[in-house]
Amino acid sequence: MDKEEIRKRLKDVESLPTLPPIVSKLNEMVADEDTTATKLGKIIEKDQVLTSKLLRMVNSSFFGFPQRISTVSNAIVLLGFNVIKTLIVTSSIFEVMQASDVGLFEHSLGCATAAGIIAKRLQIKNPEEVSTAGLIHDLGKIVLRSELPEEYEEIVKITNEKGLYIREVEHQRLGIGHGEIGGMLARQWNLPERLVIPIEYHHKPGSSPDFKDITAIIHFSDILIRALGFGNSGDPWVPSLDHKAWELIKFKKSDVKEIISELDEKLVELQDFTLEIKKDA
Amino acid sequence: MQRIPIKLAKPGFILAKEAITPEGQVLCGADTELTEDLILRLKKQGVLVLTVKGHPVRLPGELPLSEKLRELDRRFSKVKKDPVLKALETLIGEFWIEQEKGEGYLKRLKSQKS
Repeated sequence: MDKEEIRKRLKDVESLPTLPPIVSKLNEMVADEDTTATKLGKIIEKDQVLTSKLLRMVNSSFFGFPQRISTVSNAIVLLGFNVIKTLIVTSSIFEVMQASDVGLFEHSLGCATAAGIIAKRLQIKNPEEVSTAGLIHDLGKIVLRSELPEEYEEIVKITNEKGLYIREVEHQRLGIGHGEIGGMLARQWNLPERLVIPIEYHHKPGSSPDFKDITAIIHFSDILIRALGFGNSGDPWVPSLDHKAWELIKFKKSDVKEIISELDEKLVELQDFTLEIKKDA
Repeated sequence: MQRIPIKLAKPGFILAKEAITPEGQVLCGADTELTEDLILRLKKQGVLVLTVKGHPVRLPGELPLSEKLRELDRRFSKVKKDPVLKALETLIGEFWIEQEKGEGYLKRLKSQKS
């Protein structure tokens, strides 16, 4: 199988949860200048299941709002439409992930949490978007698992047997890695480039064409969360650091210490959140 | 700091965070030392989890510190040559040690040695 063939297969992704129809409706509304957060919120709130899922996500500890967000329109005002849209688009994917790969789900939540903490520290505009990019940075792995299950199983097997990074084996077997695959799908779904590029380049942030700061944050958050051993992303190894990206964020030791401590506290809360989800599943 | 179900709380543990009911009502503040009576009262008021200082309880499935550090070392085995990541590994290890042994433990250890 080569890149082109994979690209083709992703084009008509059928078994993968497709975009909920509500998303195209919302896209239309957002394009309209008269749309307000209240109007958007009302449309979303017609779908009760989606609303409850959405509110659970926005109130989970990785966004870290001190007060409880109780309506969708509030969530839109506080988090921005990009975040809400991404959460809607990916909500069904996360359901698949919770059921089939809790380890990857935890890794994603952990990465989102780390990314949010770092983005706030670096005073990046709209840090919740950066958290969301962290949440979906491994989208490609979920796609691989659901679209190419046999190949994925083989990739995981070789990864474990040979003690390699999973992305090395992806490149060997498919000629493409999960970053690029996730980027392709995210673009197909019209997610904003601020989120697509960090997904696509989280393993080679130094080559990212744009949004270098966000991409560097996702790259380092992925490293940090694996270093702490939280969740499971397919192999147990800490990935190599891209020093070009590190130059952009370059924390002092005392900063990293504070980040670890803040993250550790949030991870305890996150464990409560994932336990609750496991209970509901 | 450790979050524990209240049934594992013992007199002498010190709260690292306020004790709150699931409804969000604050019952007592951080730095409070737990007593038999207080634990009982908190239970009656519906408190389910407490955040306490240090790491007084080994939860099921939780690795002992020495094993946690060994696993940490293993996870970093492919990136040993990177000085930034090496420093990160050390920071995480030190963080866990201090979390379990109490803040300032490594400093005290150092001054004892010198």
